[in-house]
Amino acid sequence: MTDWCMVIDLDKCIACQACSIACRFENNTPVVSPEEAKNGREIRWNDVFPLPVHFGPDEGEYPNVKTHFLTRPCMHCKNAPCVKVCPVQATFIDEEGLVRQNYDRCIGCRFCTVACPYGVRYFNWYEPQWEETLAEYRNPDQVRVNGSLEGPAVRPVGVVEKCTYCVHRLIKGRAQADAEGRDFRADEYVPACVQTCTGKARYFGDLDDPNSTVSQLSKSLRATHLLEDSGAHPKTFYLSEG
Amino acid sequence: MAAKLSRRDFLKVAAASGGAAAALGGLQSVMRADAKQLITSANDVIVPGVCSLCSSGCGTLARVADGKVVKLEGNPMHPVNVGALCPKGQAAPELLYNPDRLTSPMKRDRASGQVTPISWDEAAKLVAEKIAAARDAGHPESVAMMYGDTRGQQRSFFSRFMQTVGSPNFISKESLNTAAAKLGMYLTQGAYTLPVYDLENSNYILCFGANMLEGGWNPQRTISGWTFGRRGRSNRNRIVVVDPRQGIYGSKADEWIPIKPGTDAALALGMANVIIKSNLFDSDFVHNYSFGFEDFTGEGGATRKGFKNFVLENYDPQKVEQITGVSATTIARLAGEFAATRPAVAMLPGKGGLLNGSMEGVYAAMAIHALNALVGSVEAKGGVFTQQYFPVPDYPALPSDAVAKKGLAAERVDGAGSVFPLAFHAYQAVADRVLEGYPLDVLFLYDSNPVYETPGGAKFAEAFKKIPLVVSFSSFMDESAELADLILPESTFLERWGDDYIEGFGYPGIALRQPAIEPLYDTMNAADFFLKLAETLGGSFAKAFPWKSYEEVLQFRLKDVGADWETLKELGVWLTPGYRFAKRGSERWFEIVGRDRLRAPRDGFFDFYSRELFALFGKKNKADLAKRGITQTGDGVALPHHEDAPLSGDGDLHLNIFTLMSLGPKTEAANMPSLQEISGMTVRETWDSWLEMNPETAHKLGLQDNDAVVIQNSFGSVQTKLKLMRGLRPDVVNLPYNQGHTAVGRFAKGRGVNGLTLLDPASEPVTGLAMFTNTTVKVSKA
Repeated sequence: MTDWCMVIDLDKCIACQACSIACRFENNTPVVSPEEAKNGREIRWNDVFPLPVHFGPDEGEYPNVKTHFLTRPCMHCKNAPCVKVCPVQATFIDEEGLVRQNYDRCIGCRFCTVACPYGVRYFNWYEPQWEETLAEYRNPDQVRVNGSLEGPAVRPVGVVEKCTYCVHRLIKGRAQADAEGRDFRADEYVPACVQTCTGKARYFGDLDDPNSTVSQLSKSLRATHLLEDSGAHPKTFYLSEG
Repeated sequence: MAAKLSRRDFLKVAAASGGAAAALGGLQSVMRADAKQLITSANDVIVPGVCSLCSSGCGTLARVADGKVVKLEGNPMHPVNVGALCPKGQAAPELLYNPDRLTSPMKRDRASGQVTPISWDEAAKLVAEKIAAARDAGHPESVAMMYGDTRGQQRSFFSRFMQTVGSPNFISKESLNTAAAKLGMYLTQGAYTLPVYDLENSNYILCFGANMLEGGWNPQRTISGWTFGRRGRSNRNRIVVVDPRQGIYGSKADEWIPIKPGTDAALALGMANVIIKSNLFDSDFVHNYSFGFEDFTGEGGATRKGFKNFVLENYDPQKVEQITGVSATTIARLAGEFAATRPAVAMLPGKGGLLNGSMEGVYAAMAIHALNALVGSVEAKGGVFTQQYFPVPDYPALPSDAVAKKGLAAERVDGAGSVFPLAFHAYQAVADRVLEGYPLDVLFLYDSNPVYETPGGAKFAEAFKKIPLVVSFSSFMDESAELADLILPESTFLERWGDDYIEGFGYPGIALRQPAIEPLYDTMNAADFFLKLAETLGGSFAKAFPWKSYEEVLQFRLKDVGADWETLKELGVWLTPGYRFAKRGSERWFEIVGRDRLRAPRDGFFDFYSRELFALFGKKNKADLAKRGITQTGDGVALPHHEDAPLSGDGDLHLNIFTLMSLGPKTEAANMPSLQEISGMTVRETWDSWLEMNPETAHKLGLQDNDAVVIQNSFGSVQTKLKLMRGLRPDVVNLPYNQGHTAVGRFAKGRGVNGLTLLDPASEPVTGLAMFTNTTVKVSKA
């Protein structure tokens, strides 16, 4: 059974934020106004940030100082708290291990945004807007599952959205393989953030395949999960620094 | 959910039970279409190109869906980015579809300041008249061009136009960024070029302010090299960062050395002292391929002091500790590690570096590069090599032209080679010299926004008043275009032809930029405008520029690279990855080491003792040299040494302007909203500037995190927000570049502050470098 998984090597991640922006253009997350951004209402499905920057316990004293950075997509948890709390089954884990979001079912209660230990679920407080000609570059790809919108389709106001591991790319890859009358290979599909990573810090593949790069890396001594004790059984692996 | 048999499970079971394969295939696609349906564009095309948002020149693949550019990916064929693309490149559709782009050529009425659209023909006619008049008056040098990134064939093409006009005033932006590193290479190795580092093979990288992970002149190249050295190979390299600001690279490195600003030369020489004393240097290189390591007998039998004795006498680690603030034991340890962990390389900063700003900067560049020579890393695996380029056919010879000949011999407006004897370009000095009375009739600005991007840029606003015709090719109404008489918006890099030399690996390579879509507006490739201009001017211009379009120029110049035009268009990249480095003493060695020297022999010797500098200043007396900011005389002038750079600004904290990964070095990036949104990631700030300060300093000044502060000195005063962080020296404050625009567009205008307004607007008297690092400020609560 395919189990899509991402591994992020924090030793190679140099916090350039290309993943954040690649995700934005692939998945049509809007730019919010500067005022809203200052209130923390930016929508970046994959965000990059310094870990406790200012005077956190791990900071040290000048000159023995280090800032650590984290890049954070959805963990696609195996025991996802967001799925458990959703009263309308708008969010669910699909058969290939992706935690997906159905915009038509979502009622905007935001239970999931509170339940998520990683803060990767974003609420559309306003109608997404692209100023004037900026709307031209939106990704035309949309995923429709039994008539409901998912993926990069522009979200209506009042729903929650999140990282899908670029599920539309998976569907596209499958369709391509079907059209060419051959089997789909796991390496035909990577999310946009993996493709653009400047430090080649991200790996993607089938965790269920013992020979895949992600399987191999997941057994590394450096492999760890974010907030391992959250009980959510997060799937996205991190390889620790140094 | 887990207990249910999923669709795929069902299919697997069905397949295992031996259902007819064809029938199952049909069923599968029906079910899939029903379950997950993808709605997408009818017509998807991928067009290769080259990004223009910094000087890395990454290869791009633009996805054009139903005629619209919706996404950029890195071109996996391009060796610099190998499929990766930084946030600037990813955000490029925001450049193309920016609502603040200029949509047609415009003319400004100086009296009223009003702009009115004009046609390209009218624009060409206007410019042509001025150029013809300047030439008729016998002063073609009154036509000038200031330029930034002009990569690939663009520079030689523009340069050819200026030569046809007969003007030597073709002025690069490099005095703001890379010139100090280039001069360091030139004065030692005799090649006026940016060094290329074999980061992948280096075991020890000593990085002097090169901001490898955020700025620099080729950030994507240094990022790839960095991560490969950390995790891409069996043995992890060691990286040491020498920089008053820690930044991301100082955090990720093995060690961060917070050096006192403006003392890099002393540290490098202190290390050289230990390496020489411990006999850890590469004896073969030093004795057979270098000049001036040992004392030698000069002209007239005088004994001249060599690098070895000079360094041994003057740069004992104890003494260097006093200058740099780096302890003597650390210096000795670094020197030992550097010399023993070979191949080792000492990196010079390019853009965003800390060397610019005084003769100290140039001596520091020499001293740092001398470290590479000491450990035999010049033209060697894991060391430094020199970028090679494809041979391109020469442009047809220019028709002989007495006016042009006279003009080309005239003094340059920036004073390069005259006022500044060692300068090749002195971009920011153009304003001073125009205000001093150098007559300019026409000034072209290409990728150039001097009013914003030079220290004390307001002087350009004054200078423009004395120039009858200022022509800007900016795609946006930036600070300089706002004052220009003609604004001829260039198409963005996704709408025009161009090419780019692939730099960073030594071997030659070319990347092709082609229009992903037709220009959205009435814009033009600047090169095409010059062709139009040449046609309008006629005569020698028409003869010099027989091509109909810039695409034709590219086809002509790139015909010998080894790929035909269609292949180039399809792949976007062409390389010949054979060359690694020149073997010592080989024929190629002589083509590189010493090749550009003007005042010293091109003999293949690496100069520890710069004969070039000795020829210029060796015989000058102390008073003359003091005027140039050099305290040494005689041999000292030619040897890398530490100079106490004079500070200006009357403050007590060093102001360090640094480049961000997000906003980068280009003005237009400030008007891309996605980049604005992520610009302050390191300090959790957004859409704004900030000032970084060490908490120790803040405590002394009674300041707290997020306080509004006034930064002021004798050059000006700005107000921004304070961010405390421990990753910088207590005597330094950092301010990010590319905010504080007063123009450009809705997203850039009026956000944060431009720190360059606080920098010393003077130019360094020998090299014409902008004063980027020796300005101090006072910080107080607003």
